[in-house]
Amino acid sequence: MSTIEQTSAQRKPASRFRRPPWFVAGEILIWSFLIIMAIVEFAPISWIFSTSLRNPSDSFKLPPDFWPTAFHWENYLAVINSPQINFLLFFWNSLKIALIVTLAQLLTCSMAGFSFARLRYPGRDVIFFVFLSSLMVPATVIMIPTFILVRMVGLLDTHWALILPATTSAFGVFLLRQAFMGIPSELTDAAKIDGAGYWRMYWQIALPLVGPALSALAIFTFLGSWNNFLGPVLYLRSWDNYTFPIAIVMLNGYMGTGNRAHVLAGVMISIFPVLLFFLLAQRFVIRGIAVTGLKG
Amino acid sequence: MATATNRQSPTNSAAHARSIRWGSNRTQEVLAGYLFIVPAFVSLFIFLIAPILAAFVLIFMRYDVLSPPEWHGVKNLSQLLSDPRLVQIYWNTLRFVVFATFFNNVLGLLLAMGVNRAMHSTVKYILRTALFFPVLTTTASLALVWNFLLTQDRGVVNYLLQQIGLDPVPWLSSSTWAMVSVVMFDVWRACGFLMVIYLAGLQAIPDVLYEAASIDGASQFQRMRHITLPLITPTAFFAMIISLIGAAQVFDNVWVLTGGGPGDATRLIVLYIYEIGFKRFEMGYAAAVSLTLFAILIALTLFQFRMSRRWVHYD
Repeated sequence: MSTIEQTSAQRKPASRFRRPPWFVAGEILIWSFLIIMAIVEFAPISWIFSTSLRNPSDSFKLPPDFWPTAFHWENYLAVINSPQINFLLFFWNSLKIALIVTLAQLLTCSMAGFSFARLRYPGRDVIFFVFLSSLMVPATVIMIPTFILVRMVGLLDTHWALILPATTSAFGVFLLRQAFMGIPSELTDAAKIDGAGYWRMYWQIALPLVGPALSALAIFTFLGSWNNFLGPVLYLRSWDNYTFPIAIVMLNGYMGTGNRAHVLAGVMISIFPVLLFFLLAQRFVIRGIAVTGLKG
Repeated sequence: MATATNRQSPTNSAAHARSIRWGSNRTQEVLAGYLFIVPAFVSLFIFLIAPILAAFVLIFMRYDVLSPPEWHGVKNLSQLLSDPRLVQIYWNTLRFVVFATFFNNVLGLLLAMGVNRAMHSTVKYILRTALFFPVLTTTASLALVWNFLLTQDRGVVNYLLQQIGLDPVPWLSSSTWAMVSVVMFDVWRACGFLMVIYLAGLQAIPDVLYEAASIDGASQFQRMRHITLPLITPTAFFAMIISLIGAAQVFDNVWVLTGGGPGDATRLIVLYIYEIGFKRFEMGYAAAVSLTLFAILIALTLFQFRMSRRWVHYD
């Protein structure tokens, strides 16, 4: 990525050579478009933050703040310590499910991807084709039968109902198969000649070499699970099992519209970890999307 | 894909040569191959393949979850034809999908082209963070926030409109404006994601092409018209397919923002399927409706693939 930035920086003097008036007009147009879009995209987030810090009784007051003018951090404490709403429990529920799902997918997808890319056996390509074609099936189609299945085996209102159906993904298998295909075959061959078993070849030789694809899959699986809304709405019934997104929406209904500052503080709590993560790992997230986006 | 298969053939021949030398290892490799896919395959079978097959059985059943399923013949299918709400809801879904896909892709491409320009890395970092941020956040919480922002009387958006001398808009309470709000929210939330996909596509275009074109005296506009746009078409094709399939399955967006209302004005197909299944407990009919969506999505994807021959340039 840095090389591309450098080369485009090198390109700049060439275009500076001639600068007709329409060029200046174009620059102004492009920059105002970018700045306006950035403001439109970010203003609601900064409104959430500013309003979550207002005195709860002022939270409906106009004009709105897009920059914090009051600092009632106790709104956050009120949400976290609220006796009726066990916020930390919801946070933990979401985190637990997301972590288990992510680890499970990393394992199952990388094992299958390794097998499809590096091992030879009868029926391999047919099975891989089954995986590929299941990518086309929208989640909506399997929503009803999966619900019936989950209910039949008695997993309704447990976190297993969210974890088990998400233990693998055809997308992840495809992504990792492509990544394993990219490893020079000399490496795995050498390991084999040295007498390494297949598990060792996978775990110690191949897996460390597909780091970018693994981290891309991890990021997407984690975010997908963390932000999952339909699943918890379908499967979870009791308050104590709720995950973060559904708890926030329920918080609005439960506390009513009188305590908007508290609701927004709850929203902000759900945003903070993601924001922190993105600020630190922006490059990985964007590269992750680039990796996954172009393999389609 | 082409490079992947090219790479594979030497692997195969190497493995082949090896299997002659190390004959006894062949069975081991076959066994290992199957064992490695067992976890993924079992999970895929139980939670994807079996449910799809079950859906095809379910459409002939009447099942309300509480009492055991009973044979219902083709009544679920004939109900499809006589459900007046289904027409309205598919019409909503169509409008939503067309507008959301269009604006998401246009804005995504324009933003990517803007951000891809040479600029200070801090500015680039800030821009990318601001533009991409809504993608990372829970849709449901953001929809809740937009619900606050779009309220007619004390909503922030209407306040800002009034500040610049415009009339307040019934964003969520009028049936025309509610659809506008739902599309607007989706574009606001998702265009950053498409920006990143297009950004990856733009960065994959070799710089050599631009350099050659500027040496030949091509203007900035000509370079965009004859290099950027043709070479971005494979990315655009991919982006349009995934954003279309995603838009057709939007759920939390309308659930939180409008609840499908007013009336049925913003009820989209997945919300309707959810309500048939889990409010009316007509699982068989819900499965039938979901299969219509499946059929439509497959048809649309095939159509896009066919059309893509006309406008997608692969090198």
